[in-house]
Amino acid sequence: MASLSTTSLSFKAPSTRISQVLKKGSSFQSVTFGRFTSSTSKSLRLQISCAAKAETVQKVSDIVKEQLALTADTPLTAESKFTALGADSLDTVEIVMALEEKFNISVEESDAQNITTIQEAADLIEDLVQKKPAA
Amino acid sequence: MQRSLSMGLTSLLPLKLPSRMETHLWYIRPDEVKCASLLKHYSQLLSPTEKDRVLQMRGDELKKNALLARTLVRTTIARYQTNSEVDPRSLMFKKNKYGKPEVDWQNYNNCNNPPLHFNISHTDSLIACGVTVHVPVGIDVENKERKIKHDVLAFAERFYSADEVKFLSTILDPEVQRKEFIKLWTLKEAYVKALGKGFSAAPFNTFTIQSKVGTEGCYNLCKTSEMTISSLEKTEKCYEEWRFALLELADSHYGAICTEDDQAGGGGPMRVIIRKTIPFVEDELISESKLL
Repeated sequence: MASLSTTSLSFKAPSTRISQVLKKGSSFQSVTFGRFTSSTSKSLRLQISCAAKAETVQKVSDIVKEQLALTADTPLTAESKFTALGADSLDTVEIVMALEEKFNISVEESDAQNITTIQEAADLIEDLVQKKPAA
Repeated sequence: MQRSLSMGLTSLLPLKLPSRMETHLWYIRPDEVKCASLLKHYSQLLSPTEKDRVLQMRGDELKKNALLARTLVRTTIARYQTNSEVDPRSLMFKKNKYGKPEVDWQNYNNCNNPPLHFNISHTDSLIACGVTVHVPVGIDVENKERKIKHDVLAFAERFYSADEVKFLSTILDPEVQRKEFIKLWTLKEAYVKALGKGFSAAPFNTFTIQSKVGTEGCYNLCKTSEMTISSLEKTEKCYEEWRFALLELADSHYGAICTEDDQAGGGGPMRVIIRKTIPFVEDELISESKLL
């Protein structure tokens, strides 16, 4: 999962990375990607299915920035720890509530306590959104 | 160079340990510590790991507060050495199996190490450290004026116990309601931290903290019995072995303290001795207790 995360998040040189991975993955195509067309966007989506989409990470970052009243120039990455940004336990709980409202999910208290970074929050959200029964 | 270190810096005054019935509460106000050379002196007390953690904080203010928090813990504990003076730099810490920090006395050979427990809490404008002997302690401080971004009752319904929601919903003034919400938060946090088993061991909605009827400043812990949670009648067991104190600190913060009552202390309310400090500069005894 670690290598997938790195691949999915390193958007600095996406085309080279993706084409490399696709080349590597070509032998697996019949197994892993067999059901899907090998269009770039669909393969990209599969490859990052184990790590949250950048869009989710961005939404989580926005909520965190708002809750912690961070200035625009505060350096913030997916790996930023809430505590390093100045969040205390009350902030973390408020962030979880805001995420529940934004994504229309319900977070178990035990899961909520394990969220320490923006990436972890985004991963959990995507997991819960996927598991939701169709509305 | 020597002048900046020796200028105005006093050594840490040694103190007697708290008695079994007491909690000592020390606090520091970051806005009162501005001197760069003093901060540099503090940073020299920290272990390499602690220094790394301070540097990981994003922003100068957060870094300073993280530095002050570690300084407060080290200097506070170092004051209570009964035999010989202890260099705050030499203290070592470990975590219990749930992640709660404790003093690691392994580098002290004598068996007379005080059975000292501590717990720390910080907000951006106040950092506090509670100290007890023999029994675990948990503390939590919050700014009285802290605004909750969500509706207070919605928040309580999501996280607090049913009785606490009931209590809060009877309060009509939103300001008073917000303040009571925060007081409850600090009390609940203090309990979970005293328990020292992580938040999953005591989810907030499984216990109620309420004022003891007919007493001032005394609180009770009651837990909803898990066995009967599905039945219409919930039995609640009140736990006498946890004591609480709720204080006002520096006119700006609520501070809650929770300690285990090991019965050897003889029962009775917790006695709290509050001191404000700027380590190596000045200590101020605030009052015996200012219970809410």
